[in-house]
Amino acid sequence: MNKLGEFELLVLLSILRQKKDAYANRVREDLDRNAGRRVSRGALYRTLDRLTEKGFLEWELEPSETPERGGHPMRRLRVTEDGVGAVRQARDVLVPFFNGVSTLLDEA
Amino acid sequence: MTPPRAAYRLLGRVLRHDPAGPAILGDLHEDFTRILTARGPGAAHRWYWREALLLSGGRWVRALLRLPSRGPSLDGFFGVRGLGQDGVQALRAVRRAPGFSLFTALVIGLGVGAATGVYSVLKPLFFAPLPFREPETLAWIAYQDVPEGVASLSHLTSRSGNLRDFRERTRSFEGLTGYNAFSEQGAFTLSGVGEPERLVGFAVAHDFLQVLGVQPIHGRGFTQEEGTWGGPPAVILTYGFWRQRFAGDPTLVGRSVVLNDVPRTVAGVLPPSFDFASVFTPGTRVDFLHPYPVSEETDRHGNEVVILGRMKPGVTPAIAQADLDAVLAGLQEEQPDRWGLSAHLTPMKDHLAGPFRPAFFLLLGAAATLVLIVCVNVSNLLLARSPRRVREMAVRKTLGASRGRIARQMVLESLVVSLGGAVVGGGLARLATRAVTGAVGVRVPLLSQGRMDAPALLVATAVAVVTGVVVSLAPALRVAEGGEAAVLRESGRGTSAGRGARRLREGLVVAQVTLACVLLVVGGLLVRSFRAVLELDLGFDPAGAVAWQLNPARSFETDAEKGAFFEGIAERVAQIPGVERVGLIDALPLGRTRSWGFQIPGVQQDNGRPIGYFPHLVDPGYLEAMGIPMVAGRNLTEDDMGEGPLAILINETGAERAFPGGSAVGRSLDFGWRGLGEIVGVVKDARHVSPEMGAGVEIYLPLARGDDFRTLDMVVRSSLPTSHVAAAVAAALQEADPTMPAREYWSVESTVDRALSARRFTLGILTAYGAAALLLAGLGIYGVLAQSVAERTPEIGIRIALGASAAKVAGGVLGRTLLLAGLGIGAGALLSVWSTRLVATLLFGVRPTDPLTFVGMALILLAVAAVAGLLPATRAARIRGTRALQAE
Repeated sequence: MNKLGEFELLVLLSILRQKKDAYANRVREDLDRNAGRRVSRGALYRTLDRLTEKGFLEWELEPSETPERGGHPMRRLRVTEDGVGAVRQARDVLVPFFNGVSTLLDEA
Repeated sequence: MTPPRAAYRLLGRVLRHDPAGPAILGDLHEDFTRILTARGPGAAHRWYWREALLLSGGRWVRALLRLPSRGPSLDGFFGVRGLGQDGVQALRAVRRAPGFSLFTALVIGLGVGAATGVYSVLKPLFFAPLPFREPETLAWIAYQDVPEGVASLSHLTSRSGNLRDFRERTRSFEGLTGYNAFSEQGAFTLSGVGEPERLVGFAVAHDFLQVLGVQPIHGRGFTQEEGTWGGPPAVILTYGFWRQRFAGDPTLVGRSVVLNDVPRTVAGVLPPSFDFASVFTPGTRVDFLHPYPVSEETDRHGNEVVILGRMKPGVTPAIAQADLDAVLAGLQEEQPDRWGLSAHLTPMKDHLAGPFRPAFFLLLGAAATLVLIVCVNVSNLLLARSPRRVREMAVRKTLGASRGRIARQMVLESLVVSLGGAVVGGGLARLATRAVTGAVGVRVPLLSQGRMDAPALLVATAVAVVTGVVVSLAPALRVAEGGEAAVLRESGRGTSAGRGARRLREGLVVAQVTLACVLLVVGGLLVRSFRAVLELDLGFDPAGAVAWQLNPARSFETDAEKGAFFEGIAERVAQIPGVERVGLIDALPLGRTRSWGFQIPGVQQDNGRPIGYFPHLVDPGYLEAMGIPMVAGRNLTEDDMGEGPLAILINETGAERAFPGGSAVGRSLDFGWRGLGEIVGVVKDARHVSPEMGAGVEIYLPLARGDDFRTLDMVVRSSLPTSHVAAAVAAALQEADPTMPAREYWSVESTVDRALSARRFTLGILTAYGAAALLLAGLGIYGVLAQSVAERTPEIGIRIALGASAAKVAGGVLGRTLLLAGLGIGAGALLSVWSTRLVATLLFGVRPTDPLTFVGMALILLAVAAVAGLLPATRAARIRGTRALQAE
């Protein structure tokens, strides 16, 4: 199974958090507001492409007639089962590692 | 309010192959609307532009570099997956089109050969260290700083007393040594082994090899004792002479050979890496070295020693020069009467290579231009094939190959072909190197040391690989880019390269013609310079004049006896049927040069120094034999040869310099210890130093009155072929002195040729490049038009069916040809105006912007273009409407 980078993990988590409403602009906003990560548009699109290539992400174009989007469609993002599995695996590795160091981290 | 239109279009173009492209445009639009309401239209526009540029810029760069999305990937251009497979594919593709591959390899080979040839020929002088130990610390100490070509040997040499004093007093040098530059004068006759043979030996100071750091392969260098006046005679043989004359016999060392009737010990043999002649006297041969005594006796000869020094570690040329200047000043103060105190130091490499640097850069530039032309040409060939490849690659793409993989395969194919080109080019370079380094009499230092060796092979490979990658870029991008679905749909029909593709290929043809034009103009200017030099009035007539060197082994009791001996030979030769004139001189024109000085009685020179002149010791027959006309007064006669007042001739330049505006005939010159000489005649200027250089002050002295020669050059003018006269002359010489070599003679024309050899050398290479460029330009034009006609067959067929005449169709094709050529020539002419200025120093008698050359080259290119366009034009005219449509 492909490994997940830290930023990729954040992106997948953000998409999962937004359930069915996830699309690029909202992911960017979420990362900016809730994770403190300002990320360039190009970098985000590249990450999305990469996650798609790895099979962790699926998307489809959803027609949108709203004037805000100038009539352009919206790309709805969905984490695949493999993607969920990768996130789960990351959690299973990370959480035990955090156990026992929490006090240490807080003190420092 | 909508986003700025241009930025929006740019994004649309960049994202047109991205399936998520529309959504990305939507995302941007959404943010744009938000910023518009929050911060106004100005800020929103600026923001949109910035985002569009960042996004498209990033994508362009990535597309160009074919970078994987992140980190090393197994797939794509730089991936390792399938590399072997692609390699096999590439080999197969090359085998499928053997004719095309071979042709491409040949064209690339032409470029590789040009670049590698120039590299290997010029490497010893420019790219490699000189064949001495730590060559960068070696320096040449000339008498005066005069530009190369203007300098006579007397300017480059010094008195041996200077060498002695520099050795004692300077502190910047580890060692100082030298050789007698006038050694050719004292020719040697080898006897005792077969027929007497004339040899050329150079006299070198005893520590010559030691200072240069050259180790003999057999034996030893000279000892200090051998280097003293009257010391034990010894010689060191050059490697080539030892191999050729003594079959490389190592037991020769320690034994003796008889030279000029004197047995001399063979002290050693020089290593093959050190060819004395190719470094110090290019264009001539040297058979052995013998010791030059740095002594009182040799100091009296005047300037004759080339001084070489090895600077101590850390000493710069400037420091060494300052050291020399201080020593010279000290010497002048101690000995106010001493003359010849002057020294000018140049690093050895600069001294040897400096004069050839402009030609070197020209050849390098020309080779690079030819390689560029080859790149453009092959690119075009590959592009012409790309429509066919697009289909093949579209199939591979639908089967899952990435764009990177496909582009990589194209590059690999091109590399396979260009490595074939490296083999062809290596072969060509080898042939060229052999031909050039084997040529005799070319006055370019170290030329004979050029080899097609491992570094040269590396250069060949590097040029081929770079060429291979460069030429495949445009076609690879094209092929990898094509939308597969559209291509596959079209695949049943004859593909027509789009308008854009044709434009690109035509652009490349124009570029080719442009580059070819530059090469041709530069080459044309050099040809014109060469012709200008050939057409110069040399002041003497080389045609029909043949020369022998008279080199008697015997010695003479008195000058009168010596004079009588040589005059006797001239008289004997004059009796031979067919011989019209015979003359004697100490050194023929364009040979060695030296400089003496005179004062004008009653006239004080500005600097108090004597006027320098170039002395010629001649007999009364010389001027007529060489075809040098008298301008005023009379020629020397037999009466002037004996005792009595010294009668001399002066050349026009000398007369004007000594007696400006007045008549020189009847005036006297003061030659110091030689006494006063009366000018009896003025002689037309003859070019003695080099064909390009005007005459200096030159004086002809009766040879019987001059003591300063051991050998003489005899010039014979005859209306019969040389071979008829040669045997009789040889017999006459043998009769006079049986030990004198008599079989060797040369035409004065060959001497002129040798003087022009460096110019001829550059010109020869450049002509070859120009021809190659012309050929490639012609092929390029033909290729593009032939394909264009083939592609447009249906269209032309329809036009003919609708009533267009064959002539009109053919005219259209030819017109297109000439348009392309014309555009290329226009651009080439502009580029030439700039580039010919860089070669101005190599031109002679022609301006860098010579209109005749420019127009001539344009006409040649147009003619080649017309010929190249003719075949496609006739083919277009023969297209029959119905058949073309049937084929369709």
